[in-house]
Amino acid sequence: MSATTATAGPLVPPEVVSSVFYGAAVSDTLVLLVAEVVGGTPRITWGNEGATQLLGYGLDDLRSLPVSSLVPSLRGAEVKLLLRRERSARMNLPVRTASGALVEVLVLCTPTPSGRMWTLRLVPVDSDSERALRATADAHEQRFTTLTERSPVPTLLSEQGMRLAHVNDAFCSLVGLQAEQLLGTGWMATVHPDDLDGVIEQVVAVLGGGDGETTARLVRTDGTERTTVIRFSQLFTPGVGAGFVGTIEDITDRLAFEARLAHQANHDPLTGLPNRTLLAEHVAERFRPGTGGLACLFLDLDDFKVVNDSLGHAAGDELLVEVAARLRATVRPGDVVARFGGDEFVVVCEGVDEDDAVALAERIGTALAPPVRLGGVDVRPHASVGVTVQTAEHGDAEELIRDCDIAMYQAKAGGKGRITVLDQQARAQARDKLRLVAELREAIERREITLLYQPIFSAADGTPVAVESLARWHHPLRGPISPVVFVALAEESGLIGGLGLLVLDETCRQLAQWDRLLGAGAPRRANVNVSALQLDEHLHGSVVAALERHGLHPSRLQMEITESALMKDPSSARAVLIQLRDLGVSLAIDDFGTGYSSLAYLRHLPVDCLKVDRSFVAELADGHTEIASAVIALARSLDLSTVAEGVETEEQAARLADLGAGFLQGFDLARPMTGSRTAAWYAAHAR
Amino acid sequence: MTVTPLVPPGAAVRTTLAAAPSFDVEAVLASIETMAAQKPVAAQIVSLANSDDIDARILARTLASDVALAGRVMKLANSAYFGMRGRVTSLQFAVTVVGFTTVRTMATVALTGLDDESRLPEDFWRMSTCVALGAATLAPRFGERPQDALCLGLLAPLGVALLHHGDAHGYAELAAAEPTAAGRRAAEVRRYGVHAYRLTAVALEHWGFPPSMVTPLGAVDDRSSPDGALLRVALEVASRLTVEDHVPVPVEALTAGQLREDAVPPVLDRVRAEADELRLAVLGE
Repeated sequence: MSATTATAGPLVPPEVVSSVFYGAAVSDTLVLLVAEVVGGTPRITWGNEGATQLLGYGLDDLRSLPVSSLVPSLRGAEVKLLLRRERSARMNLPVRTASGALVEVLVLCTPTPSGRMWTLRLVPVDSDSERALRATADAHEQRFTTLTERSPVPTLLSEQGMRLAHVNDAFCSLVGLQAEQLLGTGWMATVHPDDLDGVIEQVVAVLGGGDGETTARLVRTDGTERTTVIRFSQLFTPGVGAGFVGTIEDITDRLAFEARLAHQANHDPLTGLPNRTLLAEHVAERFRPGTGGLACLFLDLDDFKVVNDSLGHAAGDELLVEVAARLRATVRPGDVVARFGGDEFVVVCEGVDEDDAVALAERIGTALAPPVRLGGVDVRPHASVGVTVQTAEHGDAEELIRDCDIAMYQAKAGGKGRITVLDQQARAQARDKLRLVAELREAIERREITLLYQPIFSAADGTPVAVESLARWHHPLRGPISPVVFVALAEESGLIGGLGLLVLDETCRQLAQWDRLLGAGAPRRANVNVSALQLDEHLHGSVVAALERHGLHPSRLQMEITESALMKDPSSARAVLIQLRDLGVSLAIDDFGTGYSSLAYLRHLPVDCLKVDRSFVAELADGHTEIASAVIALARSLDLSTVAEGVETEEQAARLADLGAGFLQGFDLARPMTGSRTAAWYAAHAR
Repeated sequence: MTVTPLVPPGAAVRTTLAAAPSFDVEAVLASIETMAAQKPVAAQIVSLANSDDIDARILARTLASDVALAGRVMKLANSAYFGMRGRVTSLQFAVTVVGFTTVRTMATVALTGLDDESRLPEDFWRMSTCVALGAATLAPRFGERPQDALCLGLLAPLGVALLHHGDAHGYAELAAAEPTAAGRRAAEVRRYGVHAYRLTAVALEHWGFPPSMVTPLGAVDDRSSPDGALLRVALEVASRLTVEDHVPVPVEALTAGQLREDAVPPVLDRVRAEADELRLAVLGE
């Protein structure tokens, strides 16, 4: 507003001026006063209808009222601040009404060009709607304050940058300080110095709009740390700027719980030592291929099984705990002791050569030697220790641990309580074995494992009644590999399932082919060897599938299971055998007499035949017929047939027939042959 | 930077003052507006109403035209006071961090020549920053916004500067004769017809600063009024820190019991620790 705009220009007709004046004079919504200096004192000289209503004065009382009486808050010369000569002024002031009450108004004061008179427009600021709005805003503010104040969630409220305008009680008790110490930038001192940058980064992002969160440690007055997640939201106040609301979640206890869980997952509960998983991680983290300096000691307690079996598991556990404690006390700081499993421990050291590692192994041996009293008995723990120091040949951490495992087995094999450093030869052997496993896997996949068939004869009339399938592996470089080697290898390396299926399927295929070639002259039955590891719930299904695939009756197969395989888990073996027997497949116990089977148990097995082990047949030549005749007699009394294996001479054959063996099998009678040779042999035999 | 005299030489004010013991307030206010023409950017920022329409982008764009003022706002935003540790790299973000009222306050400081310490009473800024920090620190206890309290504290002594400009010698004598704040204000009213804070209030109201900043200035002498309590106690805090031989006035008496004396020592510590940094940031030194 300017001082010169109030005059009506000469172009405004007098009628208009009087019209405007009339409108202003009678308005009860517009409050207008005119003031001028009378006798040295500024006084009101005129007021409109609205003014008399607002102020409660009669028009006569209003005239000559000193301005200072109207605006009592302007004392002395301060009236000049309102009644300025050359420019308009606006002030929020209380005005005194006739009753003495004060009313808050905005006073807009415009001087006339002469500078001796002023027009004052009064606008009540405290209208009902404004009061209601303010009350609503106050109520909102109050609710918000109450909410945050009473909230158990630690809460920060900033109105500018990092400066806090408010913290609630929950935050104060979290950090152990009073609100006054935290307001402004005081709270920043509670953030761990290493985490403060992260917090500020988040605040920067949040002040720019959007939300954010960060993990930060808060340091309490007592020096303890709490780990928290701080979540930030922008708090924008129109016309003012941006701050943030921060809520804090104390995750210290949760992290501790998770750490405990992680510890439990990575540690052996009995000894508290790192377990195999953590050991693998630890070694992997430190393993740098092509370097040295990392050493592993693999310990296996000697005769631990004896302690467990004779003194009980509690004593065994006690021994393990004691050994763990001694190991921990013996290794250097920084070395890791892990429980690998059972009675096996691994020590990992860094920055050592072979001599250091062996010296440590010796120290361990000495530390373990003092007796431990278990259940009233003094037990002297001894361990076989395998030592491996990382060489350029170690490709990864696993190899290093595997090598020290091999070294431990060498130590064990050399006698108890020994320390063995893995030598090149042993490593080479182990590597060679690994390679052979890979090649065996390939041979099975490519069906390079072939079958030979050896006829089994009736002892009574010499006719062939069946053949036994015998797996053979002719290695392209190594030549023939003994079944004793590769079957054991397949069992160790999980390949036995595949190998067993291959033998089963190939045998059935060959039977079907013989049927097509020879008709009634084909072998009536084939015997297939089954490993102990195949005696599970899948075997029945595999046999059914193979028979169906090649269109054979179950009676065409006999399964041969070694005595020792049956005794590993007799009850589940029995269940599998019953399934096969119900199917119509006959069953034989191979190598009978070499195991330790309970004869009582034997009676309950659904078996058709016992195969007399070749060792007992060989004894016949020396005149020892006792075992062979006992086995044959036993079979007869249980109503089982017998096959004598390893018959190499006619004399043996005759003797066995005399002893009552039902069937004979051996090199002298017929050698193992390929499928086609077997066909030819059968064809010739029939003639 | 350019030093702009608060009152142009030869203006009527001086002769009026020399002639009369009373001080022509209107002439002083008029002189400020003359200066607005010489610092158009600052004047534009000051005149931007505290409206909801104003956003940081607009404010920053305007501010960018005055390099010195923009630099000060950046420096303030990165000062320890706001705790942002140098993370404020854009002017718009600086405006957001310090807040719009603070930007207006900085512009007001520039506009009224308060950034030229050579023409201010001794220790003027030391006092101002202490009042500002005291007010901001205590604001939550009085239900006030710290940002507004800070700005109020920074600008409250504007009236002192104006009186000092107009009557340097007379004001120095007055100040020396009246060691207490209340006594000085009474003397100001006697000599100039208006006390310094009242003068500040008039100026701020004229520029459209919100009532929350204007009202306390008018109520500073009325101990029964809760409106002036925060400013009274902030002035007391500043006096305790800056005035030698200051006889402390119990804060209970200044605040009608709203604040107890035992709340003051931590505030004194905080203000003492931050005052220099804030002063340097505001003055852009």
